[in-house]
Amino acid sequence: MNLMANILLNVLIAFLIGSLLFGLQRKVMARIQTRPGPPIIQHLLHTLKFFIKESSFPYTAAMPFYIAIASMLCAIWVSAVIVGPVIEGSLLLFFGIYALQKIVEHNAGSSSGSPYGKLSCVRAVFSAAAEVPLFAVLVIIYLQTQTMVISDIINYQAVNGPLIFTIPLAALMFFVLILSKSPYSPFAITKGKDIVSGYETEHFGVLRGYLMISESIAWYMLLWVFLTVFIGPLGILGYLVGMVAISVLIAFINSITPLLNPNHSIMVQITFAFIGIVGSLVLMLVM
Amino acid sequence: MDIATLGGQLLGQIPLGDIVLYLTPFNLFMFAGALIFTTLIAISRTETQVEAEFGSLNDNEVKVGLKEFKIRRFLAVVCGLATAGAMITGDVFNFTLLVALIGIVNIGIVSAVKQIDVLNAAFQYGLIAMIASLPLFGGAAIILASTGTLSILEIAQLSFTTPMMFFASVLLILGIAGETGIAPFYATKAEMFRTPGSPFILIIHLSSLLVIVRAIEILLIINKPF
Repeated sequence: MNLMANILLNVLIAFLIGSLLFGLQRKVMARIQTRPGPPIIQHLLHTLKFFIKESSFPYTAAMPFYIAIASMLCAIWVSAVIVGPVIEGSLLLFFGIYALQKIVEHNAGSSSGSPYGKLSCVRAVFSAAAEVPLFAVLVIIYLQTQTMVISDIINYQAVNGPLIFTIPLAALMFFVLILSKSPYSPFAITKGKDIVSGYETEHFGVLRGYLMISESIAWYMLLWVFLTVFIGPLGILGYLVGMVAISVLIAFINSITPLLNPNHSIMVQITFAFIGIVGSLVLMLVM
Repeated sequence: MDIATLGGQLLGQIPLGDIVLYLTPFNLFMFAGALIFTTLIAISRTETQVEAEFGSLNDNEVKVGLKEFKIRRFLAVVCGLATAGAMITGDVFNFTLLVALIGIVNIGIVSAVKQIDVLNAAFQYGLIAMIASLPLFGGAAIILASTGTLSILEIAQLSFTTPMMFFASVLLILGIAGETGIAPFYATKAEMFRTPGSPFILIIHLSSLLVIVRAIEILLIINKPF
């Protein structure tokens, strides 16, 4: 297939599936809390709605930084789709993309001048301190497979079996990372309702649409990386079943846990990271 | 060890005398990302922070003054260029030099704000960054002494890792953590996030995270785990 067509197709799939999985997650959470909940396509409709609404910009915003930063978040996650499903490139590059995304999340909050965005910005910096150690999972994968290239990791698993059985604690670390990126998660401190919508508070119209598209693609990509790196070569059906299963599991966790305060959130994530790194290294030495 | 197993296929090298830059998709992406953000910072205004005034219903607007804006923007652009250089360099010494430059300009960006809390944070961060330059350059020096080269491409060709190379890597980690102000030295930089100047805060955060990601690549090349 033509490369450009391949990229467009994968970005479209990532956006649509990511949006529907978010919708499914809200539905499951609502049912657990004995509410009817919104329809599964609600998140998708909500995203599209923002593209036909009026865009307005606060007079306090840092222009053109404020506009560019929201657009860049979209570009960054499209890059992730290219590195992942399209070319199956390096996980280290994916980590670089994740780092850039944290910076954008941080500055989307501070660039508007809103005190809620500013608080979200500070929390994003805090959460980076916890999420970066969780990304040490890449080094563990590298030590196990001797490569960071996704296509080589898939081949490794085709021969040696899924990595989730050989380095389960690393898989747990990555799962905690995915959990921390889901809405209503106990670790979602950057978008806690105590600070309205966090870094999204002062983004309206098209800019909010960009942020929501990015969230959907980010969700799809994190699930794709988890399934590819820890379960191994999967078909389309395997990916779909895996993504739905993880989204439902996370919906269960989110519906029965409160949002942690920032300090507790960071300490819990760092504890998971510490257990994951040390435990994985010990397991690799013993086995 | 093959560099391609970390950052993807080696696309090419740019030999500038002793300085050899090498390009993988990973290095190129990080380099381009740092340059795009730097350009954005160079052309952006700062935001106005709106805070509720205590004891009344009025708002208090906090802005960045023109003189402060100019010096912070200049330092932020230098920091962005140094970060871009650190992403693409193929030489351990150049990497440490650029990381030290990032530390110095970060101190400048923080200390240009005339607020007591922020200046205190800048002072503490400055102390840490200055102290961290010793293990940073010491690590590079020990790598040169134990391998005979500072070229990352040459080090990648070596088939062994000596205890001194491992020791040098530990020093490098300490140096990088101090210069970029990441945990456990993170608290020294926290105060500055209270101030207005979102584009300048971005470059401090950007340089820290990108340098850490690049450092992982370099350290895995130096310490061959298999």
